[in-house]
Amino acid sequence: MTGAILFHELTARQRIAALVDPGSFSELLPPPERITSPYLAQLGIPVSFDDGLVIGRARIGGKKIYLAAQVGQFVGGAVGEIHGAKLTGLFKAAARDKVPCVLIVESGGVRLHEGSSGEIAIAETMRAIFECRALKVPTIAVIATDIGAYGGIGILSTCCDFRVMTEHGRLGISGPIVIEKWMGKKAYDSGNRALVWKTSGGKTKYLLGDADLLVHDTADGVREGIARFLGKSSPVSLASVKARQKELAKRLKKFGATSDPEAVWKGMGVRNIEAASLASGPEFAALAKRGK
Amino acid sequence: MEKFAKSFPSKPLGAKTARPWALAGVVGSGNLEVLMERGGKPSDAMECHVETSIPGYKASWLAALADFAHHYPAGGTKVTINDQGAPPVLVNLRLRQAYDHLTKGDK
Repeated sequence: MTGAILFHELTARQRIAALVDPGSFSELLPPPERITSPYLAQLGIPVSFDDGLVIGRARIGGKKIYLAAQVGQFVGGAVGEIHGAKLTGLFKAAARDKVPCVLIVESGGVRLHEGSSGEIAIAETMRAIFECRALKVPTIAVIATDIGAYGGIGILSTCCDFRVMTEHGRLGISGPIVIEKWMGKKAYDSGNRALVWKTSGGKTKYLLGDADLLVHDTADGVREGIARFLGKSSPVSLASVKARQKELAKRLKKFGATSDPEAVWKGMGVRNIEAASLASGPEFAALAKRGK
Repeated sequence: MEKFAKSFPSKPLGAKTARPWALAGVVGSGNLEVLMERGGKPSDAMECHVETSIPGYKASWLAALADFAHHYPAGGTKVTINDQGAPPVLVNLRLRQAYDHLTKGDK
């Protein structure tokens, strides 16, 4: 039904409906339960019945999963106490039941109105993610919208086993406006969309290895991407962490001094920048032999 | 913030609906979410609860809700709205989306 509609244009609930096997989604803590943020209500800010996170059980290709989708339009998909508790609980349930957990990310990080509880919730969710990883239960983050994954949710996404991205997705810690505020417009112009996407967008993140797969901006593309990782896990060991550290040191040495994002593309094996800029998903991946 | 509740006369909803509840819209700027559930009382009225971030438009709200209750058999439903400044035409659209989803299901 929604296969042709761009994934980033769907709402969180539409994304779930478009991704999972028809009729397989059963929501946990659905809207009629009215578990809403007490803090926003105190501050006179409208609340939402799901507090900006839809969670539940579903199936993809017949395989059981736990699934969460953030609602980016509601306070930027930001994590408050309830939103965070739902997220933590879902990953804990995934570890308990040994069922893969998929998070459709769309969040600027912690909700400032309830900062401390949001931060704690993100830390607790990370612990639950590592619990899953220790048990070899796959955890997958899908980053496919321009709100992207920033702040605590950027970190949390990189804690998962795998990241599936589209070219619309962005991944980082400090957002472009924050960087501009601190470093000045000369250092980083947050209004320059080409620059922003070439530094934190899906294509660049794929080249650098922060995203494991780049897919088309459609529900079909994202579903196939998720399905590819449902039976896999990526171990957390001293050796794997050390290897990653080494890769990052190499990256810093290679690109640390450059201010030109195209130099990074070239350095990661993209020969034809123009063709790669126009290509999307797997076609981009084919054009860019990721520095390996 | 402004909060109010009111019931509007409406023909009773059919005995069977596709789902027990339906949600339409998102709480975002200029948008709202409408939760429509079975089990409102009495069966010949649409029970409405509105919470909006923009105070001072109660008359417009009551008119939009009364209009919907008049045109659709929504008696016996409970409608709860979280609003962040949606215009009346969008309120009407979301009510219709929620109603369609409640009565007919996903498709």
